[in-house]
Formats: sequence, structure tokens, C-alpha cells
Amino acid sequence: MNPIAFTLNGKVVTSEVEDHELLLDTLRERFGLKSVKEACSIGECGACTVLIDDEPHYACLTLATKVEGHDVKTVEYLGDKGKLHPLQESFIRHGAVQCGYCTPGMLLVAYNLLLKNRQPTEEQIREALSGNLCRCTGYIQIVEAIQDAPPLF
Amino acid sequence: MLPRFSSRKAKTKREAVTYLAELEQSVLLAGGTDLLVRMKRGEGHRYLIDISSIPELHLAVAEGSRILIGAATTHSQIGIDPLIRNSARSLAEAAAGIGSPQVRNMGTIGGNLANASPCAESIPPLLVHDARLTIESSRGERVEELEQFITGPYRTTLTGKEMLSTIRAARLEGYREGYRRVAKRAAWAVSRLGIAWAIKEAEDRFLDVRLAIGSCTPGPFRARNAEALLKGRRREREVVEEAVKLCLDGIRHMSGERPSFIYKLPVIRDLLRAILNNRL
Repeated sequence: MNPIAFTLNGKVVTSEVEDHELLLDTLRERFGLKSVKEACSIGECGACTVLIDDEPHYACLTLATKVEGHDVKTVEYLGDKGKLHPLQESFIRHGAVQCGYCTPGMLLVAYNLLLKNRQPTEEQIREALSGNLCRCTGYIQIVEAIQDAPPLF
Repeated sequence: MLPRFSSRKAKTKREAVTYLAELEQSVLLAGGTDLLVRMKRGEGHRYLIDISSIPELHLAVAEGSRILIGAATTHSQIGIDPLIRNSARSLAEAAAGIGSPQVRNMGTIGGNLANASPCAESIPPLLVHDARLTIESSRGERVEELEQFITGPYRTTLTGKEMLSTIRAARLEGYREGYRRVAKRAAWAVSRLGIAWAIKEAEDRFLDVRLAIGSCTPGPFRARNAEALLKGRRREREVVEEAVKLCLDGIRHMSGERPSFIYKLPVIRDLLRAILNNRL
């Protein structure tokens, strides 16, 4: 087992992880963050997306030991049941959430995009979403929700 | 699920090659976007040596007439690096189009070369830039041209005890250059074909033409016959057509006839015409 310390959703945390443990499993099993989904498991669907140092990564292909000393964010960073993030509100308003399985990953790549680009074009939004699959919405509502989200700052 | 293995996180190049030498059945882990997928499908290794956090392997700096790029530099970093965008634009363009944003944040240029997929996006631009690789082991280092390094589909000269550490790409100034890929869909789709080019011309005369084509042959290749034909010639229809024909004949010679050539060869023909006539 390896002791690791990293920042998780704004708080410094520590854990013991196995050599062959994936960040996906650490977040789900050791920290109870079930928003990080496992679907394809080979880095194609984006359901397991987390932000490492504010950039999207596939948690299903990241060893837990790699985040030692880094910043990790899951959708829980954005908001919670009592107080949703304006981006989450926009997703709801636009019907961008149907089955919900892709939503945490979609929100994180959208958040990353809006951090870097306050007013992305539709093309830039679609490019940012290109590593995340959604089988319900056809993406249109998700793109609109991001276009319509209020500025982050 | 991943099979069980032990892992070591190397902090320096020295430490990485020492682990490689000492640990039996060990393999290097950089971005993980290829290796971990293969391991989930059953490929077994006893030790993974994580080289993704070695500072010496994360850089892109000028070194005389070359750009020195650390092997663990990610595709995202390469896509936005000002030096690479200026002096090796085709490489920046290719890197910015690889996979998805997540794959570009994780995958590395060294991993792309070491895996040596026939459709690896980094290879054609690096061939255009006469890339030279430094390969290290606990016994020392060797230098090899990229063209010699790749020996076939998914095959290189790397032994299990060696690490690709540095890529040195020639800086090309005064060239128009780029990279164009054709794929079924933009994200994640593996490239169906890719062409990198760098062309120096004056008054409609080709001074130096560099063309590298990926995904059509067992390994990406430099179209040297066509390049030699074009050198010093005027940009005229017959000259361009002759060069295009040499490229296509070269592909047929290396691969034999393939079912996919029904669409691939006309697409390459048209891309080459557009590239040589400065329409791309």
C-alpha cells in the first residue's frame, strides 16, 4: 500500500492505495464519490472524467498514485443538493440531463472549458465535449446549456 | 479491472532506467491511454514504472537548429507550445487533433512513438522534421533516427530494458507546413490516413519538399522519391502529377493492393495535389 496526499474538491486528503489501484476506484470506494462513473473502462466514453489540476482526465486509465500532490475535482466540487452550481442549473433548465450517467463528466469538461474561455463558440463547446459520450440527449441540449450558462466569475 | 501488478514512480531518468534494469517483467507507464487499456484486456506485467512525473521528460526547448522534446510531454502541451507551433507546426497540428481532450491531457509523444501504431499521429510530422531519438538504459544511451526506430506495425528497435527519453526535431523556418488527417469522426476515431508536409518555395519553384504519409503502409513513411523529383522544379501540373504518382506507386509497392485503397488512394491523391498546389 502507498500513502498518498492530494487535494480533493478543495480539501487536502490522505489515503492508502494499492499499486494497481485506479483513481476511479479510489474516488468511488475510498471516498464514496459515486458520481465518478465506470462505463466503457477504456477511455472512450468519458463517464469517469475528473479534473486533475483543472484539466479533464479519464479516471479509469489513471493510477491512484499519480495524483499524489495534485488537485483533483469531481462534480461534487461544483455544488450539492442544497446549492447547485449555475452551470448545473443551466443543464436542468435546458433538459440536458436525461438518464444522468454522463452528466458528472459533461459538467466537468464544460466547467474546464468555461474556466479557459468565457464565451465559447458552438464548435469549441463540441470540441470540449468530444471525449464524452451521451446516448440520450443527442448533445443539443448539453451544448445549449453550456452556451446559456452564466459566467463562472 | 486491471490485473494486479506492483508499481514504482520514477522521479528521475536515472531512477527509471535503474528500475527497468533491476525489475524483471517491468514496463514503462507514461500516459496510460494505450498500456492500461491493453492490460485491462489481459496483457500482463509484474512491474509498472511510472515515468509521467519525471521533470526531465517534460519539456520543449530550442537547442540550436533543433527542438528538444521530452518523451513524457503530453499531446496537449505539444499542441499549444509556442516554439513547436512556430518551428514544427505540423507536429502541433497533429498533436492537437489526437483522440479527445482527455487523451491529449494524458497521452504522451514518447508513448505515441514507442507504440508505433501505423496510424500514430505524431510520426508523420516528426518524419518531416527528421526526428532523432535518444534512447537510454542503465548501460548508457544511443541515438537513432525515427525512420530507423520504427521497424513495422507496433514494432520498434526498443528493447524491454530501454527508455525513449528525448526527441530532437529539426526546426524548419520559412516553410509552409501542416498536417491533415482523415477519420470517420473527429474525436477518438483512429486516423484513416494522415499527411504531414513542409514545403519551401520561391517564385513557384520547389526548393525543398518534405512529405510523410501515415496509416497507409506498415509504418508512416517519407515519400523520398517524390521529394527528390520535386526539388528545384517549377510548380507545374505535370510535375505535381508525376510526384503524386510516385507517392501512390510507393504506397502500393509497400503494402500491396488493399481493399481500403479504393477510397484511400484517391483521397491521398487529392490531398497531395492540394498540398503541392498550396490549396490547403
